[in-house]
Amino acid sequence: MNKIEAKNVDVYYGAKQALFDINMDIEANKVTALIGPSGCGKSTFLRCLNRMNDVIDICKVSGVVKINDYDINQKDTDVVRLREKVGMIFQKPNPFPKTIYENISYGPEIHGIAQSKSEMDNIVEESLRKAALWEEVKDRIHEPGTGLSGGQQQRLCIARTISIKPEVILMDEPCSALDPIATAQIEELIDELRKEHTIIIVTHSMSQAARVSQNTGFFHLGKLIEVGSTDKIFKNPTQQQTQDYITGRFG
Amino acid sequence: MNKEERLIKRYKAEKRFRFYGKAAIFMALLFLVVFLTKIFSTGYTAFQKTWLVIPVNYNADLLYLDPDKKPTTEDINDADFYEFGIETFITLDPDASEDQIMELKKMFAFTFERELKYYLLDNPDSFGKTVDVKLTASDDLDQVFKGNYPRDIPENRRRASDYQLKIFDKLNEDGRVISEFNASFFTNADSREAELAGIASSFMGSLFSILVCLSIAFPVALLAAVYLEEFAPKNRFTDFIEVNINNLAAVPSIVFGLLGLGVLLAVFGLPRSTPLVGGITLSLMTLPTIIIAARASLKAVPPSIREAALAMGASRMQTTMHHTVPLALPGTLSGTIIGLAQALGETAPLILIGMVAFVNTIPGTPMDPAASLPVQIYIWAESAERGFVEKVSACIMVLLFFLIFMNLGAQLIRHKFEKKWN
Repeated sequence: MNKIEAKNVDVYYGAKQALFDINMDIEANKVTALIGPSGCGKSTFLRCLNRMNDVIDICKVSGVVKINDYDINQKDTDVVRLREKVGMIFQKPNPFPKTIYENISYGPEIHGIAQSKSEMDNIVEESLRKAALWEEVKDRIHEPGTGLSGGQQQRLCIARTISIKPEVILMDEPCSALDPIATAQIEELIDELRKEHTIIIVTHSMSQAARVSQNTGFFHLGKLIEVGSTDKIFKNPTQQQTQDYITGRFG
Repeated sequence: MNKEERLIKRYKAEKRFRFYGKAAIFMALLFLVVFLTKIFSTGYTAFQKTWLVIPVNYNADLLYLDPDKKPTTEDINDADFYEFGIETFITLDPDASEDQIMELKKMFAFTFERELKYYLLDNPDSFGKTVDVKLTASDDLDQVFKGNYPRDIPENRRRASDYQLKIFDKLNEDGRVISEFNASFFTNADSREAELAGIASSFMGSLFSILVCLSIAFPVALLAAVYLEEFAPKNRFTDFIEVNINNLAAVPSIVFGLLGLGVLLAVFGLPRSTPLVGGITLSLMTLPTIIIAARASLKAVPPSIREAALAMGASRMQTTMHHTVPLALPGTLSGTIIGLAQALGETAPLILIGMVAFVNTIPGTPMDPAASLPVQIYIWAESAERGFVEKVSACIMVLLFFLIFMNLGAQLIRHKFEKKWN
């Protein structure tokens, strides 16, 4: 079943076109990796899926993006409810300069998910456990989240995102600022999260794409060159450009 | 040039640069020390006040009161203490001529009547007795006692006459001239007599002005900055507004004074010479300073924090109120304090809206006429009497103390906000 369907998506930054007629289906409860050289538009495409491009004044998006068969690009789409369903992890860990607890409780609080203090405590603990961070921080959840290490901060951001149980999680190069050990922890986590969430991950590392994803899309110069199962893309791509990229001939 | 020479040259350049830096700091400190030394050495005497302790005979006949009956408060209030004072002064030199009696009177502040009356009101038992009463010395004798007046110049160029000095020296020998902490400098309003003049009116005036200024400028500036920075579309119109805010910050303060005069007083008819009008005028002046500071601190909040909140499904308003504004607050507050400190030291616009008036009452609300500290300095600096020289410096000291206190407060607030995360 397709969770997300993108049809004829074009994105312009001012006069410059960043994405050309993207058509892509994303399967539910699978990890879809978006790969491609820098500036190819994969992050731009990712940001189309929770309308984060709205933040950029000069950015214009056209085309249809359907999530659960609902077009999110309509004028009257409520982005708050959309982003409640589609969470996002960023390249650089960006915890709020608040305590670990407050970082997690923020989402449930603004969306009115927890009815009581104990319910909130449960959500915080559950989210931290799911993000494999609970054991490391359980004694200091009332200390600043910014005091954690880079890898822990990124897992804190993941815990923060899953605290409101989104259906889809977008990850924009979540490991590019982390060391190999932290990266391995996150990758393990991604595989675990796939059971409950649909995950789309942008990555520069082809080995990471091969390790964590079931499906892969290859972007080049704003166009989606090829999309298919990760196995097929890496072992038997149909396009010459894809072949060149994954064998390291450019990019 | 070979490598070795270049290395030596580089080291020398760095050494020179360090020296220039140190010299610059030394210069700045030197100016500060000279300035403070001058102010303090001139002004510290203003915190002392000279009193003459003279024997006073609260004789019923002299006061035209019934000697057999204890006088009521009303009786004392109705009694004539002027003649009584003169009679008392004559006891200092029973042989004084008419002119000399006038000179004796001028040795005391003109408030001697009140001081004599209040002493009796406070000590009703003194009625019919002779007691020592502490009277404020005139500013001329005050200055003589403090050593600010040379005594060796010809008498006709001196404010205190030979006769006054003779009596004064005699009192001094008897230990009847005392110097005490000048509480009235802080509790009295302005006066034409230097020995009575105080800063209470101008201090309260400044305080009220700053409060009015803060309560108008801070919320307006914060809202304007948040809207411009977080919500307004970036287009030509907002660019135009931005340029004009920067222009506004550079407008000379006297222009705002004219605006206050022309609009607040003339059009809206607000009461002249009041901290309310002064505060509104100053808030116009402070507004661009706070807007610029607030925008700079909002800009300094990393965009990743906004993205994090938006991606969690917070609305723009929630993102701004929960994250951006709290993080920008320390910077905004220190900008506000800088703006207020500027406003506190501002004289020109206040002169134009009439806060330069001679005010001898202490304002109880921002709607009462008042002076302000910098204007008080200006008024006193213009006065001819020697006694005001030390008052000017003392008033500057109070103003500086006020400023240091404000800056300290700002630092504490900043520290409290920032410490949490570092």
